Formats: sequence, structure tokens, C-alpha cells
Amino acid sequence: MIFNPKRVAAGALACAMLLVRSARAQTQPPTAPPPATVDATDTSPAHPPAPPPGTTPSDDSKDIAAALAADAASKPADSAKAADTASPPTAGGGVQSLNPDISLIADFAAAAFSNDDHLESGAHDPVKNGFNLQALELSFAAAVDPYLRFDSHITFDLHGLDVEEAYGTTLGLPFRLQARLGQFLNRFGRLNASHPHTWNFSDQPFALGRVFGAEGNKGLGVELSWLTPLPWYVELVGSTMMADGEDTSRSFLGAQDRTVRGPKDLQYLTAAKQFFPLSEDWSLAWGVSGAFGPNPSGPGNRSAIYGSDVYLKYRPITAESSTIVSLTSEWFYRRRQIPGDIVHDVSSYSELFWRFAQRWASAARYEYGSAPLFVNGARGSVDPLDPSWTASRQRVALALTHYPSEFSRFRLQVSRDMPAWRAASYAGFLTAELAIGAHGAHAF
Amino acid sequence: MFQRLSSLFFFALALLVPHSAFAKLEVVATTPDLGAIAREVGGPDVHVIAMALPTQDPHFVDAKPHLALALSKANLLVLTGAGLEVGWLPTLLTGSRNPDIQAGSPGYLDCSSLVALLEVPTVQVDRSQGDIHPQGNPHFSYDPRRVETLAVGLGKRLAELDPAHKPGYFARTKAFVDALNAARARWEARLSKARGQKIIAYHNSLVYLTDWLGLEVVEHIEPKPGIPPNPSHVAHVLEVAKASHVRAIVQQSFYPSGTSKLIADKAGATFLQFPGYPDFAAAQSYSQYMDDLVGKLAKALGI
Repeated sequence: MIFNPKRVAAGALACAMLLVRSARAQTQPPTAPPPATVDATDTSPAHPPAPPPGTTPSDDSKDIAAALAADAASKPADSAKAADTASPPTAGGGVQSLNPDISLIADFAAAAFSNDDHLESGAHDPVKNGFNLQALELSFAAAVDPYLRFDSHITFDLHGLDVEEAYGTTLGLPFRLQARLGQFLNRFGRLNASHPHTWNFSDQPFALGRVFGAEGNKGLGVELSWLTPLPWYVELVGSTMMADGEDTSRSFLGAQDRTVRGPKDLQYLTAAKQFFPLSEDWSLAWGVSGAFGPNPSGPGNRSAIYGSDVYLKYRPITAESSTIVSLTSEWFYRRRQIPGDIVHDVSSYSELFWRFAQRWASAARYEYGSAPLFVNGARGSVDPLDPSWTASRQRVALALTHYPSEFSRFRLQVSRDMPAWRAASYAGFLTAELAIGAHGAHAF
Repeated sequence: MFQRLSSLFFFALALLVPHSAFAKLEVVATTPDLGAIAREVGGPDVHVIAMALPTQDPHFVDAKPHLALALSKANLLVLTGAGLEVGWLPTLLTGSRNPDIQAGSPGYLDCSSLVALLEVPTVQVDRSQGDIHPQGNPHFSYDPRRVETLAVGLGKRLAELDPAHKPGYFARTKAFVDALNAARARWEARLSKARGQKIIAYHNSLVYLTDWLGLEVVEHIEPKPGIPPNPSHVAHVLEVAKASHVRAIVQQSFYPSGTSKLIADKAGATFLQFPGYPDFAAAQSYSQYMDDLVGKLAKALGI
């Protein structure tokens, strides 16, 4: 065995950090209620009650107007003084309830396609000429108890509803572990786990539709993630979930309803996510992911999807600015066993986003999907999942977005789709998004 | 080889032993004002990180993952509360996997629960009024009277979490409050003539400052909180600025300055842009920051 001092040092450091953390935990008192009121006597500082500012000597406070103003101004000072003494703070004196945070987000689109038989593949993409309801997402979120929180997103369309996500998340597992359970979007890459209202475009990159399905990769399962004790942000994720779903796991079991008879009938994900704060203004996130599971093309046949995603963001926060520039690029390599052969392909998208004014942003996207390649295949082999996809495909899109406020958004998007196996086509969308209810917290 | 390995082992031990004996309390503050206060009250017993920069709008901080890493190691999270950090803190807090600082834990200190908030709505509100904070206005650290209450609450919480150093926390809290009161008398004297003076603010974030000093905000550059100005509103603000002889247009440095400068020029008012928070990285204290702010205000108001 080769001795590697760096590795030993890293290991020792990891152990040391874990131990220090547990030592710190032991020094902490058991849960004590937060102080309900501020009692100055406890800390015994010289703590004279705040004199009303109105008593401050003033050279020209003789006239009536000034006296009235001083009286008016001294009123709130009394309330500040009240907080100094024992009266309960009025903060949070508004409506308190145990209701979860509720929000509703609607996405509408007016769409025009140059070819009615277009290739939009996302479940929330505009799909027909005229007006479309892309999604109506109802979200609930709250802490269940001190150990778990619960998040759910239910999506309605004109024909029914879909449990987009409904999962519990642990808050206090040891060793910086976190588990999720329920129905959730898999944390493969960058875009898959996010919701359409955070996207820079009004449709889903075709890579997600091709590799996972219209809804993206999601399902019922469990996930465990670990925030490593390394000095920079490294998160390791592992999950297992049901491998079926035509719109969620098409490269795995897809529409086949197979009884789970063992671990080999489930889908697995592993991912590593890293983050580098290059400076206050520049950030870089980089992830690698892999998803593995059975496919229905024959007994024992399996599929594997490998991905890498990069997100580079420039947002000046050291000076007055509303500029945001970001580059997102995600690559998917898929490999499937099919009867008598192995088929593999590459899909990707890259998008450049630029918020050039407080309420305006533009974005450009390029997408590429390779032709399926067959390891043993004779000429004329076709991908059983996408029989028409016999050559490469490219698509470009431009978007201009206006945000009247943080809670609404209007977007104009045009795209040109260039599948090499058929004529190019165009699509134009004008979309509107409206959000009401609890203020959502954004992921990076 | 063995020597190297053993030295590594002892190095690891050395890291461990003093650390657990003299470990500092890890404090993460969402904004630099709270960070600066925590650093003074905590002194050598704490290590403080501030998540937002003084030049950054605290409503719109990116939930950068390395902040979750800082939270994962924290013993105490100090936040402004009242919805100020609602757009970014919850994601980080969940991602921190740290049970000690989750809402309701002793390591979670929501400062809005310590002070009396202004502008707590008494009638039904909705977002047609802009991005309002239904729990009340969260920009309270511009009022040193409220900061006094806040520091006392923070000192108590630190002492609860780290009872071994309780006398130190209390002594520093007392020293902080004494110094703050002395400074406050100085600031109030310096700005006594400011009482009743009219100013225009960019966002509704100066209410505690103006409440304390008796300044009057006659209009905001934003027509409603979080809604950028449009030409007709700017024309209206200019009219108000001229009609009520506004002395200064006052705003934090993270708000756009173009419109404000224009109005200041046309209305003959002074334009004052100041950092929203103490310069935490440069170890600026809360009092030094307020000294600076009071000086700038006095100059802008011509007193």
C-alpha cells in the first residue's frame, strides 16, 4: 500500500473536525427556552431608559410647530422604551398560526409553432398554437416537528393534477447527514431538481425530455446526502427511487409496470456537488451525477446516465449594481443495454443569462443532442425510445424577460429547432407568470 | 516515514485538545450590523461571520452554498427576522443540517423578537402595496435605542449557550450599552437641529432612523416597497421635493442612484448615499458606523 501523507492529513483533519463538533455539542446546554422578554437587570449594564429624543436640547424648539413635531416624534420612542422594560415585544404580534406557508404560481403562454408537429418534450412546455396553461403549482411547506420539515408541490393542468413533489427532509441527523423521503425531483445535475418558475427559458431543454422524460427525473424514494467536513463546499448525494414512469424515468423502466423484486429493480443516483466562491462577485458551482437502473428492453438490461453541470455566476455585490450574468452548461451521457447491442448518446444545453437592468433580463441557449450510436449496430439501427431520432439535433433560443416585481414575470422567447432528420422549425412564446402567497426561498 | 506519521498524529491531537478546551462559539449573523454587534458583545469568546456584505441589499442575497457550510458549523444564528431574509435564509438553514440553529432552537436568535417593530400592519395587507413585510419593518438597526435592547438580548443568549463565559458576555454587553448610550447622546446633540427636517428616502428602510432623529420622510423614490420608480412617480417625487423644501435625498448604497441624483439636482437637495451596514470585514464597529452616518447626515442636512 502506498502511503500518501496528504490523504492521511485530510483524514485526520476530517476526524478532528467531527470530534470537535461533537465536543462542542456536549458543551451546549439542553434546550432552553429563548428569553421571552428582555430583562436588563440580568446583565446589569448601566441601562437607563432611553430618554425620548424630544428632550434633546434644541436651539430653535420654541415655536409651536416644533413642539408639536417633538410630541409626535416622542410617541414611538415610548414604544422603544417599553421594549426595554418587561413588556412583551410587540414584534410578531400579527397573525400567528400553524398553517403551512402556501403559495400558488401560475404560468400561462401564448405560443406559435411553424410546424404543428413540433418536438417540445417538457410537461410544462407550451405545446399548441394559441393559449396554453403551462402549470399551476400549489405549494405547501412547514416544519413537521423539530426533526423534520415537509414540502409539497402539486401541479394542476386543465385535465388533472400531479404530485410534482411531496417529501420530508430531516433537520438534525448527526454527522451533517440529511435524508429526504417521499416523492421528489432527483438531484441529478442542476436543472432537473428545479421548478420551471426558476428557469431562464419557458421550455425545458430537450436533453431532460430525451434522457429522463417530460417531467424530469423524479419518483418515490429516499435520498441521503452528506455535507462533507472539507474546507470548501462538497456535498455528496445518494438516492434510490422507483425506476418506472414514462414521463420521469423513460431511460429506465419507463411505462413498464414491473414489480420490485429486489434492489436491481430500483433506480439509483449518486452525485457530488461543489461550490467555489471565487470572489464576492464571482461564484462557480460544479456537479457530477450518475443515475443507474434497469430498462425494459430485456431481462437484466440496464441503463446508465452520467452528467456534469457547471454554473458560473457574476453578480457584483461590492458596489451598486443590478447586473447578473450567469453561464449554465449541462452535459448528459447515456448508455443503455438493448437486445444484442449497447446504444449510447450525448445531450447537452448551455445558456447565458444577463440581467441588464433591475427589471429586464435576456438569455440565449444552445442545445445539442447527438445521434444514437450503436456499439455493435448495423446500419439502420434505431433507438427504441426515439425511433425518429436518427441524426443529431440542435436548437437555439433567445429570451427577453421583464419582471414588473419579484412576483410576476413576462417573457418573449423565440427558438429555432434544427433536427438533422427533418426540416428546421420555429417556435415563439409569450409567457406570463404570476406568484402569490408565501415568499419562496431561492436556491443558488 | 513513521516520524512523519506520528507528527501528523500529534498535530491532529494538538488541533483537538486546545480546540475543545478553549473553543470559541461560532456565530453566524445574516447582516453585517448584527455581526458587528455580536463581535463586540461576544469579544474573544466568539468567532463571527456575517453573510451579507454592507454593500448588498439584504432582501436579495444569493443563497451561496458555502454559506450553508458556515451555518453547518454555527452554534448561534443571529438574524434580523420580520421577513428580511425570507428569500434566501430558509434554503441555507435547511441545507446546513444543523439542528442547533433551526427555528425554535436556542441557537436561533430572531432579533425582530427583541425590539418593538414599527409599521406592523393593523389592517389587511397584500402585495398590491408592494413587497411589504407583514410582521413589521425590519430595518431597525439604524435606531441605537433598539440596538441597545438587541445587544442585551444577544448577550443573554450568548451567555445561555456558553455559560462558562457568562461574566465576560455580561461585562461586554454592559460596556457596549454604556458606550452606546454615551455615543447616542452625542449623536442626538449633533443632529438636534435635524428634527422636523424633510428628506426623501429610496426604499422604506429609514423609518427607524427618522423615528429616532425626528426627521420626516415626505416621499419615497420607490412608488411602493420593492417596485422601481416610473417616470410619473419620479415627476411626483420631484414636485413633492420642491414643494416641501426637502433638504436631502437619503439612501443606502445598494439602491440605484441615478433617479435620486436627478431629483436632488432638480430640487436643490443634497444626495446622500451611505453604506447600508457597518464594514464588517474591516472590523468597523456599530458605533463607528453610526458616527460616520451621523456625520454624513449632518453634512447633508447642512447642520
